Amino acid sequence: MPNRKLVSFLYGLPWLLTFVIFWAFPLLYSFVIGFTDYRLLQRGYSWVGWGNYVALFHDPAFLSALKNTFIFVIGTIPATTVISLLLALMVNRRFRGRGLFRAGYFVPSITSMVVVALVFTHLFSRGGYVAMLAQMVGLTPPANGFLYDSGTALASIMAMDVWMAVGYYMLIFLAGLKSIPDELYEAAEINGASSLRQFVSITLPLLKPVTLFIIVINSIKSFQVFTEIFVMTRGKFDTSSAVYFVYEKGLTTRYDFGYASAAAYLLFVIIGLLSLAQFALFRQRKKLSW
Amino acid sequence: MVVRRGGLPAVGRYVVLSAVLAGMLFPFVWMLRVSLLPTGSIAAENLLSSTFTLTNFLDLFAQTNMGIYLINSLATGIITTLGNILFCFTVAYTLARYRTITNRLLFVSVIVILMIPAHIVIIPLYILCVKGGMYDNYWALILPWLVNPIGIFLVKQYIETIPTSMEEAARIDGAGELTILFRVMMPMCKPALAVLAIQVFFTHWNSFLFPYILTQSESVRTLPVGLAMFQGHQAIDWQHLMAGSTIAVVPVLIVFVILQRRIVSGITAGAIKQ
Repeated sequence: MPNRKLVSFLYGLPWLLTFVIFWAFPLLYSFVIGFTDYRLLQRGYSWVGWGNYVALFHDPAFLSALKNTFIFVIGTIPATTVISLLLALMVNRRFRGRGLFRAGYFVPSITSMVVVALVFTHLFSRGGYVAMLAQMVGLTPPANGFLYDSGTALASIMAMDVWMAVGYYMLIFLAGLKSIPDELYEAAEINGASSLRQFVSITLPLLKPVTLFIIVINSIKSFQVFTEIFVMTRGKFDTSSAVYFVYEKGLTTRYDFGYASAAAYLLFVIIGLLSLAQFALFRQRKKLSW
Repeated sequence: MVVRRGGLPAVGRYVVLSAVLAGMLFPFVWMLRVSLLPTGSIAAENLLSSTFTLTNFLDLFAQTNMGIYLINSLATGIITTLGNILFCFTVAYTLARYRTITNRLLFVSVIVILMIPAHIVIIPLYILCVKGGMYDNYWALILPWLVNPIGIFLVKQYIETIPTSMEEAARIDGAGELTILFRVMMPMCKPALAVLAIQVFFTHWNSFLFPYILTQSESVRTLPVGLAMFQGHQAIDWQHLMAGSTIAVVPVLIVFVILQRRIVSGITAGAIKQ
């Protein structure tokens, strides 16, 4: 019989290697270079202590990217959560064609972000369909299109993101709705509770864990917004995000690795706090075994 | 008396649902229509015309690197998916069945990475790939993504629902460790591995940031990266851009229609399976 311990170790080896090489090392490495002025094609580097972090908080580009990221998160998450819950409620009960609606709403969230962003670049452009729609309801669309105007560019990208995400979170809400026992509604009905009352007193409270879960995973995802900004505006018109800032500083023109790594770490701390919240929720519900 | 629990009356419900559905699908319909339009204006009157052509698609393959992008996306996607099926399975198996100290630590690392946003390692991963000779070749598109924490977690949860009696019986019959792993356990994990495969392939097929920052040459570009790079070119009009987009979307849609159930169960399994 082979050494069972060795066998168990070998099975786990692929992850151990991936973890050490592609996760632990990069994370440590970028933490360290965050305290240096390391740049591409530069011989050597010097320690700058907290210099990069101090500079970040005086860098208008970073502050604006951070501000936009927060606007993005705070703006999209309530909209996505409420709309996906409404969709889930509408397609929850059995009726003819339910599967078609569910599948249709879900389609945007499995398509490539690049494709969606390209299509919406045209929809949001001057004379595009969104502008036509705005004119129909009596609004004046921006002269150069929604994405070429600092007042509307970020909001347009946010609207697109909500459109794209609602079907996905609808599915998670549907699974949450399914886990609510039918007996609760039956009991409520016998006692003559109105449907609104049932929704407020049964559905909403029992959906609370799922809702929290959705809010947390969605905010972790939204704090990393990048691709749509890259494709639609390249960070112009006040749309740069934190990850876009990291990319722009670290991997274009100056290749300022140290500075960009410091920015990435700040983002990491923010998202890390959210992840801890997620973990707490997770443990509470699943009782993870260590 | 039939009690209707909340909700809109039937007709109203269908009107609202259909309006939302139209809003969800319109961008795709537009994409498809534009992709089939001959060169020229893509104004509304042309969209409604009855002229359809496939030249945009043919042009893409004849005059751009679309064929290369497509093959790259497919090939690296398939390799990554196979890698995840194999490695997420072996890792999940050892985590589920061998409760050693090293495995406990390994599981902690899975959980930690599960919750760390991948985007924050773009700078060090870029440097690592450049220094390690992986930059701008297939290795960068494959090697870091051969096993993923979500997949390990998913399969581990599944293995834990399988009673150990099967393996014990096989062991008594004299089966070796590899036989138990691949002949006994793997077939039983098929549903979880199918869900995993779909998720990995879709993620890989759609992913943009990492393939973009870790490659540079046309010969290793994937489909989303190639499309995003088309956008800046004056020579490429909306018809061709949308033809390329259609090529990126249609395979996903076909797989989705065929495997809908699996895909949906995969998403909810990650979220709330009680």
